[in-house]
Amino acid sequence: MCWAVPAKVVAIDTDVIAEVDLGGGTIKKVAIGVDNVKPGDYVMVHAGVIIEKLSKEGVIENLKFIAEEIQRTEEIMGKSEEEAKKAADEFFKEAMKILES
Amino acid sequence: MELPKQIDALFRENGELAKSITEQIHKLAPIVSKEIGREKIKIMNFCGSHEWVTTHYGLRALMPETVELIPGPGCPVCVTPSSDIENVIKLAMEGYTVYTFGDVFKLPTVKHYKKDEVGSLAAARALGADVRIVYSFVDAIEDAKKSGKPSVFFGIGFETTTPSYAVLFEKEKVPKNLLFYSSLKLTAPAAEFAVRLHKSKGLVPVSGVIGPGHVSSIIGAISWDFFPREYKIPAVVTGFEPIDVLAGVLKILQDLHSGDITYTNLEYKRVVKYQGNVFAQVEINKVFKPVDAIWRGIGTIPKSGLDLREEYSMYNAREQLGIKEKPWDYDLPPGCRCNEVTLGIAYPTDCPMFMKACTPARPWGPCMVSMEGACAVWARFGSTERITKIVSEVK
Repeated sequence: MCWAVPAKVVAIDTDVIAEVDLGGGTIKKVAIGVDNVKPGDYVMVHAGVIIEKLSKEGVIENLKFIAEEIQRTEEIMGKSEEEAKKAADEFFKEAMKILES
Repeated sequence: MELPKQIDALFRENGELAKSITEQIHKLAPIVSKEIGREKIKIMNFCGSHEWVTTHYGLRALMPETVELIPGPGCPVCVTPSSDIENVIKLAMEGYTVYTFGDVFKLPTVKHYKKDEVGSLAAARALGADVRIVYSFVDAIEDAKKSGKPSVFFGIGFETTTPSYAVLFEKEKVPKNLLFYSSLKLTAPAAEFAVRLHKSKGLVPVSGVIGPGHVSSIIGAISWDFFPREYKIPAVVTGFEPIDVLAGVLKILQDLHSGDITYTNLEYKRVVKYQGNVFAQVEINKVFKPVDAIWRGIGTIPKSGLDLREEYSMYNAREQLGIKEKPWDYDLPPGCRCNEVTLGIAYPTDCPMFMKACTPARPWGPCMVSMEGACAVWARFGSTERITKIVSEVK
């Protein structure tokens, strides 16, 4: 029931209804459940309501979280801080290549 | 590449990263298992979509023996009380147009309408009742405006679904002929109930929890802080791709190792904020109030549901149609163990009905109906146990 899909806002119909492109040419009218949404924004849509915006900055923060995890495990397993950071940096660099493609 | 495709490439189609995180989990799990003195590090999720990802991508098969991933209460359709479905069926048979989500359509009841074979909304429609499946509350509003007929929307869902109702009521977009029958549920009280039950029943205690990503996009990661603070159980809110869940498991192991268990970790930063969606929270609070709610097969959990506030009573189906709440009576079909599956104390395969009398095509119990019910997920994508059995038979 809590499945949500990414979509692109196509138009704002009223103060509470927007049209979104769910992909593959599927356009749906949905309720607006977030502040300051505008055409062109990427959003998450669940059961006909926009629950949150989706941003590249958020994806970068997400990747930083995983990079910190990688570094932490390497440190727990006995690697020096420098070596552990190198492993995390390598992951982050590769991930950013995808995000910039 | 567009952002959704980039997210797929990073978090779904990223075998190298999955391998790397899995290796780290395998290194850390035996150390943590010894440190906390538990042979099993039990990690519970509270979202049917997390169970879907875990099973669909075979993540259990990637876990070391010491890590057990279990589904908890995460499917609102599965826990909708039979009495609510029976009440809505009665309205449909009496001439009201009933709008509902597709997941709810086939939900079986324990008592049948007027002793006829009307044990679901699907059966009611087969007998001529006007039951319409909609994608959203927006669609139901548009349809009810056009028809002008007395109608009822069967409102089911967790906090993720609630903003769609709240904003449309608050902005006065709901027509007078469309009543609302609330069966809305709140996740955190049930999650706490499940975790406490594991302890009180003397089962292996829950060592970590994976918070529901989309519920948390509304209520905020902060809403799960009671697990680390009061229970010293690490919590992490993750997304719904395999990398997200693997990263969540690794974070829980790291917290257990460090003993620094003070606040909820937020992995799903591309969607969720610590404080949640404040706009939606305000709208929900204007329209709905917390109420005690019945969870199917489980009973009443205090303040675990939502109903319309007095200002919106003209839309409240229970109040307008004089529907009286009855005390909870056990409401699962004979033999069904959906309640135990919902609380994470039994796996779907522990139920003797599973894939015998109860299948996705002919669901006997509610956990087999929705795409997010643990039984339905295991039936479609298999469990580690079933895969292991098949592999051993092939060998």
